[in-house]
Order: sequence, then C-alpha cells, then structure tokens
Amino acid sequence: MKYHVITLGCQMNLSDSERVISVLDEAGYEWTDNEEEAGLIGILACSVRQKAIDKVYSRIHKWNKWKDHKNLVTFISGCILPNDHEKFLKLFDITFQMKDLPKLPEMISRYGVTTPAQLKIGIDPHNENIERFWNVKPSYQSNYEAFIPIQNGCDKFCSFCAVPYTRGREVSRPSKDILAELALLVAQGFKSITLLGQNVNSYGLDKKGEEVTFPELLRQIGEMGKRLKKEFWVYFTSPHPRDMTDEVIEVIAQYPVLAKQIHLPMQSGDDKVLIRMNRKHNMGKYRDIVHSIRRLIPEATLFTDIIVGFTGETEEQFENTRRAMEEFKFNMSYTAMYSPRPGATSHRWDDDVSQDEKKRRLHVLTEELRKYNVPYNKSLVDKTLRVLVRGADRKEGYLSSLTEGKLIVRFASNNKDLIGQFADVKVVSASDFSLEGELVKVKEAVTQ
Amino acid sequence: MREFKVEIIRYLTDSTYVVRIKRNGFKFQTGQFVMLSPEKLAQQREYSVYSGENDPYIEVLIREVKDGDTSKRLKLLHPGDKLKLDGPFGFFNFHPDKFTGDLFLFVATGTGISPFHSFIRTFPKLNYHLIHGVRYGHEAYEHDDFAKDRITLCTSGDSSGDFEGRVTDYVTLQKLNPDTNCFLCGNSEMITEMFDILTAKGVPVSNIYSEVYF
Repeated sequence: MKYHVITLGCQMNLSDSERVISVLDEAGYEWTDNEEEAGLIGILACSVRQKAIDKVYSRIHKWNKWKDHKNLVTFISGCILPNDHEKFLKLFDITFQMKDLPKLPEMISRYGVTTPAQLKIGIDPHNENIERFWNVKPSYQSNYEAFIPIQNGCDKFCSFCAVPYTRGREVSRPSKDILAELALLVAQGFKSITLLGQNVNSYGLDKKGEEVTFPELLRQIGEMGKRLKKEFWVYFTSPHPRDMTDEVIEVIAQYPVLAKQIHLPMQSGDDKVLIRMNRKHNMGKYRDIVHSIRRLIPEATLFTDIIVGFTGETEEQFENTRRAMEEFKFNMSYTAMYSPRPGATSHRWDDDVSQDEKKRRLHVLTEELRKYNVPYNKSLVDKTLRVLVRGADRKEGYLSSLTEGKLIVRFASNNKDLIGQFADVKVVSASDFSLEGELVKVKEAVTQ
Repeated sequence: MREFKVEIIRYLTDSTYVVRIKRNGFKFQTGQFVMLSPEKLAQQREYSVYSGENDPYIEVLIREVKDGDTSKRLKLLHPGDKLKLDGPFGFFNFHPDKFTGDLFLFVATGTGISPFHSFIRTFPKLNYHLIHGVRYGHEAYEHDDFAKDRITLCTSGDSSGDFEGRVTDYVTLQKLNPDTNCFLCGNSEMITEMFDILTAKGVPVSNIYSEVYF
C-alpha cells in the first residue's frame, strides 16, 4: 500500500514527519508523492495557525469524499489544540499523539489493513514464529503502564474483518511466560497492565488440555496479586462475546487486581446485522453477558465497539443499535463508520449506506453515549475515587488520571512526581466524558 | 498447516467441483470448515467440509469464483497433486444431541449445501428437511445423496426444480413448527431474509443457526 504524509506548521512538525515516514517505511508501506494514489494518508497538523487548520479541514473533507469510491485510511497527529482534536476524532480514522508513534502500524492494522511487507511474504497462518515476538524484551514507553500479549490471531472470521487472513490462527502464549512477565512488571512498579489479544478471552482454546483456560489464567493472576501485596490493575482487551463466560466475570469479581472494567465489543444491536457480520453471537447472548456483569460486578464500567453503516444496515436495524445503547448504557463506545477492508468477506458486498448517513448514525450514537454518561458521571460527584495519574492534563495546571474503570479524572496539581502513582481524588464536578476532582491523598495501598 | 494429496476431483457443473483428498487422520466435527490453498499459493480460502465425519476421505465442494484466485487454482489440481489444508474451524458444528427437539430444517443456497451434506453423511437417520436454492436445476449438487422426500429444490431461473422461486419464497408459503431447529447456510441476503421469515413464523432466535458464505 502507498502512503502520503502532509506536513503543516513548523520545523518541529517536519521533524515529527520524518519519524512518521521512518515508521511507515519500516512497516513496508511505500511513499508516493501523489496523494490520490495513496491508500493511507496522514497529516502532521498545526493548530497554531488558523490557515493551517483550515487546510486540514479542506483536505479531510476531500479525503472522506474519496472514501465513497476507494479504500482509504486517514490519520492525524502533530500540534493540535484540544478543541480541534475533538473535531478531528470524528473526521479522521486515527488520531494519535507523537509519543504513540511506535504504535501507528498497529493502529492502522486495526482498520484491517495489512502491511505490504506482509502481503509480499504471505502470513504464517499458524503463527509459528509468534514466540519470537513474545520473547522480545519490550522497550516500554511508560514506567507504569504496560501491555502483555497473551494471544495472537483470530479464528472467528467476522465478515468485516481481514485479521484472520493477516494475523493467522489463534495461538495462546504459554501461561508460565505470561505470569513471569507480569510478576516482573509488578516488581518494576508497573501499575496498569493490559493482557492483549485479538480474541483475548479465546485464550487456551487452541491448546485445550495442555494450557489453562482464560478464567484460570485470570485466577492465577488474581492469586499472584494476593501474594505480591502490591497495588496494580490488570485489564484485558479485546474479548469476543462468544467466548465470554460467567466464569470469567466471576473471577474478575473475586480478585481486586482484576480491574472492574470490561470492554465487550457489540458491533451492532441488531441480530440480522450480527448474522451478516458473522459475529457468532446474537443480542440474546450479549444481553446475558451484560446482565451477568451487572449482577456480579455492579461497579464495573462497560466499554464497547460499534460499527455504523455496515453493508445493508437499514434505519430500523440502526435503531436497534441505538436502543441497545440505551439499554446497556455503555461508559464508552468506540464507534466507527463502516468501510470495506480488502481481504474481508464484506469487501465483496455493496457498501450501500452513504457516507453522510454513516456520519449521521455516528453522531446519533455519540449523542446517545453522552446522554447516559452525564447522569452516570454526575452520580460520582462527592465520591472519592482511586485513580492512576497518567500525565499533564491539557488544562493548564492540572494532571490527568484514570479510574480503575478507565474514567478520566483531572485534578489541579503541577506535581509531576505524581505521574505513575495511585492517588485518591474526590470528584467535584462532572462533564460528558470526564470528571474533575480534588486530590485527597497519594498512597501506595497494599490491600490485596 | 498440513499437506494433503488430492485423490479425485468431481466436476458437477462448469464452475462447481468436489475435491476429495486423503484423510490422513484429519479430525473435524461435521459443519466445520477448513482453509485450503494449492501448494504454491499463499492465499487461503475457507470451505465447509462436504464429507461426513466417518468417511475415509475429506471432500470439499467448491464453486469457481470469477475473481477468486484460490478457487481457480484448486480447479486445476489433478489426482496426486498436493494442497495445503488448515483447520478445522468454525462454530456451525452439528450434533443432534446438542439440540432440544428432533426437528431440523436446513436451508442452503448454492454451495451452502455443503455442511448439510456433511450432516447427513454423519447422521443418516436425522429427521430433517433440506431446502436448496439454486438458479438452474443442473446446480442441484448430488441430490441423490439425500432422501427424495427430505429435499426440496428451489430454482429461481428455470422451472426444473420442485418449486420455481427462491428459498425465501418457498419457506414463506410453508407451515413451520416453531420448535424446529433451523440452520441456514449460503449468501447473506438469503440468511437475513430467512431470519425475518422464520421469526415471523414463531421460531425463536435461539433456534436459528447460520453460516454466512458470501
């Protein structure tokens, strides 16, 4: 695939774009001077000058129109003001901060785009070399947040996704290696650790009888948490509803180190769309899981993924998705407008929902999410929440943090030493998608 | 991924054929699919197993796709040639004991008949009715393998079938016991339309199982 990057603004952005190009070249993408030839277009933006921002809007509107007749993935990074960033979230496929640049190929691959290097050599469908990747000592970008790959590949064959063809079969990493890496990270002081996999809760299914199951792996992590007597939160993403059992939810409820935040991709709230998506679950199954979560872990936050405008999605079917959002009251939804991915089954189907209609549906769901987040967030006012401080907030003089449920809480402080620390923050006000609080205390709790 | 030797290729129509390969101890559950590719092609495609769990060979039913590299290349294979097979995969696997009730309705379009052929090869005493939709009568792939009173051929492009029209038209006209376990395999339009038809007839969503082919 060819790519094109446009750089606006100062030398700093030029320097950034050189690094972006380096990462994309290494991933096997091929530079083109002609943006019309590109399947991947990025822009290093500059919010400092209105003219530069006007150029961004002009370009992205043009590129989004191109999506009506070609496959195109767009990204934006650089110097972006918070207001612009919010708007760009709706316009670009990918927005990222430069510190996350190493993850750019991964972000692109989430859009089902395989790298040219992969296309050339084909894929290793059995992921026989995956152990080498797992055994690479990672250079962590943070000293308090880390990811542990536990599973790779996908056997689910959702019709909108090319991952089974690009990532190969589901392969589970040996649990002893996962536990060893986790223990090491905890010993080094990491506090937020995410178990990663394309279908993370399918863990162990490829090695039945030889490897522990996913709930058993979580149980062993929970027991480790008790033994180590250190405070840390363990997350996992992304699970598939088909393999989400009550046992998984029961184990999460049982152990404090297993974070009370569940990301459960729904994709659509309509059974017929789910069939076309080849999702292997229906709304009855999804509803059962959510009920189990609410019953066993009432404090858990619930995140989801939704695709709007999937091939053939009628207004009525979309309305079922909106109703599902109303019913489940997600704390966060990563909603994407459907676009066909080469290699996926649905790529052969008509992309028959117009771009304008997809945008409208995206907007409706965003408003729906806002509607249910406001009362939820307001219910947290005056409560003291445990948070992990993650860095400077975009509001001057504030730090940004996340609760165990991954809700954003900012509080007034210039003390950078707090970054990477747990703290207690009393919530004083709530907005649509974030909370504001006052620092109560900082401590290293040892209460497993 | 393992290599298997082709035993026979049976050409059912100009574009549809069955590839039989040596079993070589390969295990699967009826209804599952495998991924196949000719020896020197990296691209794999998924095909439901056409043969039964107890057959001494594995068969897959393949329709040549106009722009499909894999199906074109597989068609050119000869006995003794090798192909690469990966699997089994999928969740359309079938065992009559897994279901409440013993009424089974199978609805297929085109090569979507493949898993049902495997079901019947594996469980020949099953109480089923198969509705197979094709455009023309000559696409009634190996219907002799099914009991005559248990299969209905729907043809939308000629009148040579038991019913002239689409499978959805046919099922719309039929009475149906809501306790029937309904299995759908084939193109997504048929499956989504049939979903509406079946639920309107009182079949609960939990009794509808589907495998989307294209």
